[in-house]
Amino acid sequence: MAGELNAAAVRPASLVGGARRNATAWLLLAPACLALVLLFVVPIGYVLLLSVTDPRLSLAHYERIFTVPVYTRVMVNTFVTSLIVTALCLVIGYPVAYVMARRAGWVSTLLLTIVAMSFWTGFLVRTYAWLVILGSKGPVAGAYGALGLGKAPQLLFSTFGSTLGMTHILLPYMILALYAAMRKIDANHLKAAASLGARPAAAFRDVFLPLSLPGVVNGSLLVFVTCLGFFVTPVLLGTPRDMMISQLINQQIEELLAFGFASAVAVVLLIATCAVVAIYNHYAGLDRLWG
Amino acid sequence: MLPVILAVLGALFLLAPILVVVPMSFSTAISFAFPPPGYWLGYYAKYFTSEEWLEPTLNSFVIALGAMTFTMLLVVPAAFGYVRYRFRGKTLVNLLIMAPLIVPHVVSALAYYGFLGRAKLTGTLLGVMVAHGMLAVPVAFLVISATLKGYDQNLEKAAMSSGAGPFRTFVHVTLPVLRPGMLVGALFAFLSSFNEAVVSIFIGGRAAVTLPKKMYESIRLESDPVIAVVSTLLVGAVVLGVLISMFLRRRSTHAA
Repeated sequence: MAGELNAAAVRPASLVGGARRNATAWLLLAPACLALVLLFVVPIGYVLLLSVTDPRLSLAHYERIFTVPVYTRVMVNTFVTSLIVTALCLVIGYPVAYVMARRAGWVSTLLLTIVAMSFWTGFLVRTYAWLVILGSKGPVAGAYGALGLGKAPQLLFSTFGSTLGMTHILLPYMILALYAAMRKIDANHLKAAASLGARPAAAFRDVFLPLSLPGVVNGSLLVFVTCLGFFVTPVLLGTPRDMMISQLINQQIEELLAFGFASAVAVVLLIATCAVVAIYNHYAGLDRLWG
Repeated sequence: MLPVILAVLGALFLLAPILVVVPMSFSTAISFAFPPPGYWLGYYAKYFTSEEWLEPTLNSFVIALGAMTFTMLLVVPAAFGYVRYRFRGKTLVNLLIMAPLIVPHVVSALAYYGFLGRAKLTGTLLGVMVAHGMLAVPVAFLVISATLKGYDQNLEKAAMSSGAGPFRTFVHVTLPVLRPGMLVGALFAFLSSFNEAVVSIFIGGRAAVTLPKKMYESIRLESDPVIAVVSTLLVGAVVLGVLISMFLRRRSTHAA
């Protein structure tokens, strides 16, 4: 809102003429909006349509999703796994972002470089790396053998494997969201707390932590929502026994050619995602996420 | 001291698994054994001579360039319109532009599978390009509109009052000032397409295989060790890119 008012204030006087101004704005926005409607909204609408018309007009697919135990378990499993991954990212990521924001010099530069590097490395490269690490001929299995612990447990193609892989892949998103919020915290607040006699731990708990909460919320939303619809890693590292939603969609299409049912599952995923985003929007305002 | 130790452990957790792919690429093993039983360059030779891997690599570049161009053609005017004007329905427009970011990629992938299938565009470079172009709109828009918001329009007023017309002002003042932001936006759009896997997997078919799709299939179907070579080259490119961007940023902050 503030940005809009600001933009209005600096606008050249020649452009401030109601109808003409509106027309120029729409002319500039038209190509993008038209393309998004025709090439994004319409295809998504087609999924909605298929979910209630393929093979015939009915809500049977939705009924199946919410009544057949196998499918309700997929929904619950996706939700729980996403929560776990979000919590893990938060716990592992918070100290990294904290040090990046609070320390000057090479430590912070090095951490930022590592985070940026893993952020830009594709999902498939990182998923492949975990395939090697967790595999039956990998270093973990090797360490088990070398330490005489016997056969390593099945790490690959398990919920553990896919949870670990997703945490690793989504961690940079969490760190960057936390870092963006923490960087804005004025160091003087902490100095003030210290000069008033707060010990470092107390200053952190009562001053820094509350001020970093917007970053915690942003990062958690980002990771949770991405995790809900995560495809590559659960398919490659997970197990069909504990499927996530995207695995179910893939299975329905690849093995059963059941487009109607796959579409209904996709719609449920879409609605769940939108619900989470809407809750966030209600309390925090979406523009803050990408502002 | 505790935060630093935890941060270093966190950073190691991020970095170490990625580095595993480097020794793997020189491994003689035909499966994913680590540590490698021996070292050679055979799989590099295989990568650089096999059509099976070079074609997806080329496809990925072509698609990413096409998608980037498509995105930029849509986003640059849109960002000007959005940032500089007030109009009714602005919130709705913002939501529309951000939609590809909110909708999970697997849902978009399914949507394009059905939609582009009807238009006979699945399994074509054009189809993947269009889909990737749409998915890159939000990130490019965020970068470019942020650049525009930080841009001082008094520069334009100064040019105009010195006698430059709107067109000359745009070409000689507006564009040069905004160029770095535009380039970053274009780069993000390019990388968004280059790294995109799910949509490619769903709609690429046999004829428009991108690098991530090829990697996905090679893991699922054949465990081809060449994937380690590709991964290492990609990691190398990322390291190079990050170092260059840090160098440029440092230089620009010193200059300022």
